[in-house]
Amino acid sequence: MKRAHQTRCEQGFSLIEMMIAAVIFILLCSAAFALLSLAQQRYQTESQVLNSFQEARFGLDEMVRDVNGSAYPSQNMFSFNPNVPAKNLYAITPVAWDPGYLSSSPCLIGTGGGGTCTTPGDFDLIVERDVDYWHTDGVEWTRYRLQGNILSRSQTYKVVSADPETTTALSFVPYVQNVMNNVSSAQIAAFQAVYPNMFPGGNPVPVFNYFCYTPFGTQQCASAGSYNSPLNITDVEITLIVMAPTKDAQTGQVRLIELHGRGHSLNPIQ
Amino acid sequence: MKKDRKTHRSSEDGIALLIAIFVLLLISVVAIALLVSSGTETALGVNYRTSSTVYYAAIAGLEEARGRLLPKNPNYFGASYISPTTTFPLGQTIYVINRGSGDNIVPWDSSNTYYDNEYQTEFGTAASSASWQSVNSVWDNNIQGIPGPMFKWVRINAATEQSLFLQVNASGSYNNSTPIFYDPAHINTSGNPWPSLIVNMSPPSSAVQALEITALAALPNGTQKILQYLVAPVSVNLTFPAALILDGYSDVFNSPDHSAWVVQGSSDGGDGACAPSGPVPYPVHAVGVPDNPDVGNVMSGIPSSPNESVNFTGTGSTPSIARVTLATSLQTVQGLNQIAQTIIQNADAVIAGPATEADLPSAMSSANPMTVAVQGDFSLGTSIPAGYGLLLVTGNFTYASGSNWNGIVLVIGKGTMTTSENGAGGTFNGATLIAQTLDSSGNLLPGPHPGPATFNDTLSGSVGRGFVYNCGWIQRAQAPLTYKILSFHEIRQ
Repeated sequence: MKRAHQTRCEQGFSLIEMMIAAVIFILLCSAAFALLSLAQQRYQTESQVLNSFQEARFGLDEMVRDVNGSAYPSQNMFSFNPNVPAKNLYAITPVAWDPGYLSSSPCLIGTGGGGTCTTPGDFDLIVERDVDYWHTDGVEWTRYRLQGNILSRSQTYKVVSADPETTTALSFVPYVQNVMNNVSSAQIAAFQAVYPNMFPGGNPVPVFNYFCYTPFGTQQCASAGSYNSPLNITDVEITLIVMAPTKDAQTGQVRLIELHGRGHSLNPIQ
Repeated sequence: MKKDRKTHRSSEDGIALLIAIFVLLLISVVAIALLVSSGTETALGVNYRTSSTVYYAAIAGLEEARGRLLPKNPNYFGASYISPTTTFPLGQTIYVINRGSGDNIVPWDSSNTYYDNEYQTEFGTAASSASWQSVNSVWDNNIQGIPGPMFKWVRINAATEQSLFLQVNASGSYNNSTPIFYDPAHINTSGNPWPSLIVNMSPPSSAVQALEITALAALPNGTQKILQYLVAPVSVNLTFPAALILDGYSDVFNSPDHSAWVVQGSSDGGDGACAPSGPVPYPVHAVGVPDNPDVGNVMSGIPSSPNESVNFTGTGSTPSIARVTLATSLQTVQGLNQIAQTIIQNADAVIAGPATEADLPSAMSSANPMTVAVQGDFSLGTSIPAGYGLLLVTGNFTYASGSNWNGIVLVIGKGTMTTSENGAGGTFNGATLIAQTLDSSGNLLPGPHPGPATFNDTLSGSVGRGFVYNCGWIQRAQAPLTYKILSFHEIRQ
């Protein structure tokens, strides 16, 4: 009895059975871990793309709203009779410009290096408006500028005798990273291999595209003739091409996202 | 042996349990990490979505109120609430209420969820202290059958320097007792035109009241946003120093050889709106031109045998054809084009030419005069009794001798007006202006002055009655085109 009991208790698998079971287990584990690894890679890539998308979307939305509220309060909200308000208390333009701001000589807006404005430009925008109207500190300049791959933001008070370009250049902080609108031809070619419809003509894509008032309706400023002036800007079309920080873990290719927005100044310079 | 075996079995049991617990823990950690990660992403997405939703919902509220201020809007608030021609008093408010399911919106009640704190901030007194009226939104309780924008209320009120927190007069203090007006004819300290807001207890006749429109949007999760417009009614606001104006140089004029055809600068007896002291100039000349040589051009186009010039009556001696001083905006190609563009942008109907009277809006009537812009040639025939309102034609304007128009006719563009024989006795009641601002290719003339205006009506059989100045129709044709946005900004909360 004792022996029989012992045999039942110690009855086990043979070595062959164990090895087969082990092999099956290892195969199943390998498959599971391979899937897990794939899912992990995909998750990492997609979450980075998502992060870039979120960051760009926030940035774009803020810029659109800044343009919507630009030129507040316009100079025509003040009667200029019998008293003339200080120049920093009102916006003379929806978009400040350089050169010529201090001498009230508007420059010509161009694209792809054309025009005489350094700002507003394809990658540079200074919005003029009173952000905190409930304070008596006057109008602010909010500037967005793409340098390299970083879109930076700067905000300063409008100073009567100061140039908006130099004043705002002192306080930039990074705003949206990995912005690829203005990269080298080689990089554009590499991007186009993956995204053939981006970068039309193989050229950098302006972040800011300006539309001016004309008596015949709103037109792109660069082709608005005598109405090409920062003073006449009514709309700013914003395009952001953002790259995820790392390449796609599976394909090894870059991941780009292109976002569009359009701000319309609701404060007319009458 | 027995003891050893027992000990061994007990140890194996513990390992299995530990492994199971460990695996469970591992899975739990991964699951929680995934949940936390997706939760953060969701929160970010929701924040963005709610922020955008309230912003655009508030704009929807502002736009509804702005549109409903216009008398021609089918959902106009009504003259008993507010009118473009009367000053809206300070201390009064109109609330547009937009209830969602289960909402109780009483913005003037301090105990209400959607109480209007902003009024207190702007005027220093509680919203309940204002004399308020309320109207339902067109979206109220999803009347339209589909979910509308989620603004809760929109307030309309007269603005002051204090409510705007803006020193319009730059006087050093914020006036809270004088309503703000917008004066397109304002002059600055340098004597230059400076269309702007003004603070004046007795505003000039050119000024119109600036109204504040404030909208609150709120989402179920508590996200709120307040946006504000400042708006003022805009109309073309033209005055006509003659019943028929040829606004050009080296004008061409030919009138019918018929005694029934007249041009009258003194209104018909039936036009009670005309009075020498009224808001519309009266009486005026029959035909007006901007310079003296064109007086001669017009005179030479009037048949002299028999002498039809006696049919040109109005200010001064007969024939009442004179050089007149036009408003600055009517003197240049740029100014005229600006007027045309303003009309085109705000017209009730914009029609592509060539067009005929059949293309005019069917809702146009004596009780509902409309602003119609025809971009191209237009032919006014006799298949409708009459047109009513303001008609802009940028191409050639041809009218049948039996056709009628009550209101203002502006032929700004090609600047030619000719006739065709079809019936008799048709009349232009109101005022007509012809100006050439475009060349034959449709390009704007270099200016500054417009080119020659052309009027050709050489019928001698069935002729029209001609042009009769009419103050009432001039006023009715110039109802506000829109409420212009003077400013827009977000309100701090």
